Amino acid sequence: MDLSGIFDALLTIVGSPYHMLLLLIAVPVGMFFGAIPGLGGKLGVVLAIPFVFGMEATAGALFLIAMHSVVHTGGAVPSILFGVPGTGPDAATIVDGLPMTRNGEAGRALGAAFGASGLGGVIGALFLLAVLPLLRPVVLAFSPAEFFLLALFGITLIAMLSGDSLIKGLLVGFFGLMMAFVKLDPQTGIQRYTFDMLFLWDGVDIITAVLAIFAIPEMISLGVAGGAMAQVDKVTTSYGLAGVFRGIGDVFRHWGLSIRTALIGAFIGMIPGLGGDAASWICYGHAVQSSKTPERFGQGAVEGVIAPETANNSKEGGSLLPTLFFAVPGSSGMAILLGAFVMLGIQPGPGLALTGMDIVWVLIWGLMLANVIAVLMFIIVAPSLGYLSYVRGNLLIPLVLALTFLGAFLSHMAWENMALLVVLSVLGYYLKKYHWPRPPFVIGLILGPIAEDSFHKAMALWGPAFLLRPGAMIMLGLTVFSIVFYIWRLVSGKNKPEQTHAG
Amino acid sequence: MRVDAILNGRVITALAMLIIFATMSLLALGFPEKARLMPLLVGVPGSVLGLVQLVNELRRSEQYVTSDAEAAKMNKAERSMFMWIFLFFFGILGFGFVYAAPLLVFAFLYFGKKESLQVGLVSAAGTWAVLYGVFELGFEIPLFPGLILEWLLG
Repeated sequence: MDLSGIFDALLTIVGSPYHMLLLLIAVPVGMFFGAIPGLGGKLGVVLAIPFVFGMEATAGALFLIAMHSVVHTGGAVPSILFGVPGTGPDAATIVDGLPMTRNGEAGRALGAAFGASGLGGVIGALFLLAVLPLLRPVVLAFSPAEFFLLALFGITLIAMLSGDSLIKGLLVGFFGLMMAFVKLDPQTGIQRYTFDMLFLWDGVDIITAVLAIFAIPEMISLGVAGGAMAQVDKVTTSYGLAGVFRGIGDVFRHWGLSIRTALIGAFIGMIPGLGGDAASWICYGHAVQSSKTPERFGQGAVEGVIAPETANNSKEGGSLLPTLFFAVPGSSGMAILLGAFVMLGIQPGPGLALTGMDIVWVLIWGLMLANVIAVLMFIIVAPSLGYLSYVRGNLLIPLVLALTFLGAFLSHMAWENMALLVVLSVLGYYLKKYHWPRPPFVIGLILGPIAEDSFHKAMALWGPAFLLRPGAMIMLGLTVFSIVFYIWRLVSGKNKPEQTHAG
Repeated sequence: MRVDAILNGRVITALAMLIIFATMSLLALGFPEKARLMPLLVGVPGSVLGLVQLVNELRRSEQYVTSDAEAAKMNKAERSMFMWIFLFFFGILGFGFVYAAPLLVFAFLYFGKKESLQVGLVSAAGTWAVLYGVFELGFEIPLFPGLILEWLLG
């Protein structure tokens, strides 16, 4: 392991007032977006895109990862105080967090959530650090044949992100792939679906597409709902810092549980598609299962707050692995982050393990530091967190719209991208409204060029026999496994009622 | 069954996907062999899946019928939001970020959402401060000046 590279990266951050300032700005912004039900980290990253435009890649990536990594720390606040999860994966925190608030232990619950989130984030980053040395030899052994099949594998993972409908997931993923083919064909140089429009010659801009598919549909939905964030009750319980510190102490009193759930969360994060919901609920289940007094859970057991919160934050470390090295985002938040990295000039994919490790180390340190800073900041503002229930969505909509158009324009300095933004937004809204999974679109858009380029190279080198190479056969095996796993999951969960409500 | 029940948003979304895939696949036929390979590899199965999804949605149409009042209310709110999206687009396209965006933020809040004059003005000023102060002055990024404004100012 390149120890000097790892510690140089730490120095790059802590030795630079500029980088530290970025961290200090990113953390509260990320926490804010996590703490407001209905906003979430995805929107936070989307809004940050114009601000990181033009930044040096390290600084921009550091800002975004810091923001993204503390979203769930913020998300615990409304879960505990109001019983409304700030983000989806924070829902498990409600089960014991809200009863703790009702029992007059809101401060302790918040402290446990902050402490667990911070510890989880740090362990998740360490987990990533530990598995990276195993990755480099794997990537070095890859030829275009394996790269093509890796891209194919990534595309089949769309199934994992497709929720109840594989067909919808595949269609959205294929749509992303088709959008990736809109450009000058790299093999023949002819225009493909560009209709003589110069701004499309380099392809559909990823940032514009991500903004259109994720950001604007969220704002339209918010506007259609009347600008109301989730309905929350005002804080009914007062709490002080003593309770918060007691909760932080609980995390270390239950150190075995904290470490186990952090590791489980980080491992789950590595598997694209399982996502934060699975991590937090699996770890909550583990806490109940491993407790000597399981009957306390649901009544305000502090372990019921610690377990999901450690998992929520530790999974971010794990999910960086497929996102950075295979360009396969584990969640929609990571999908947006992936697009933003591309805008900053960081090309996620196997090549990053060979030439971009310096930035990877920075991201890992950023992840750790952001989690620690978040805990400290939360302790300071803990007594005032109840005011979050007063934030109104209406005020955010126009500002988000302005920044979204700005992001689309800035990504290529082309006003035509704003037109593309509007067109894709209409589709994006209806995809959201009718529950079509949107993350596969980004996977398709990013993996499309990798798949096409590698396929042509592999064919030129070995012809169709490239499929018989050992590495290629392993990748094919993984692809088949992912499909079988999806079918198994579908069959085992077919008794669940399908979601049919619109909107 | 009523035509509007069949042609609901779910069916139209599935139909739109089918049309996109089918059209792109047909267009790909006109490309040279190497250029059309991947678009066809994706477009043809995409068209088939689009058709399957369309049939699925048509078969489930009856499940999703909402009350006329509810649908009308939602459609009105959606139309209003789309109108604002288009206003933002054409406003910024014509008059650029620094001038159009603050005005549109004010208009959205004051006229669209019936917020108070103070809230509208403060939000507009904040938007202008971010766009002009942070981006143009702070980051020295030249923002899009707007096609009409550029033409007027030469």
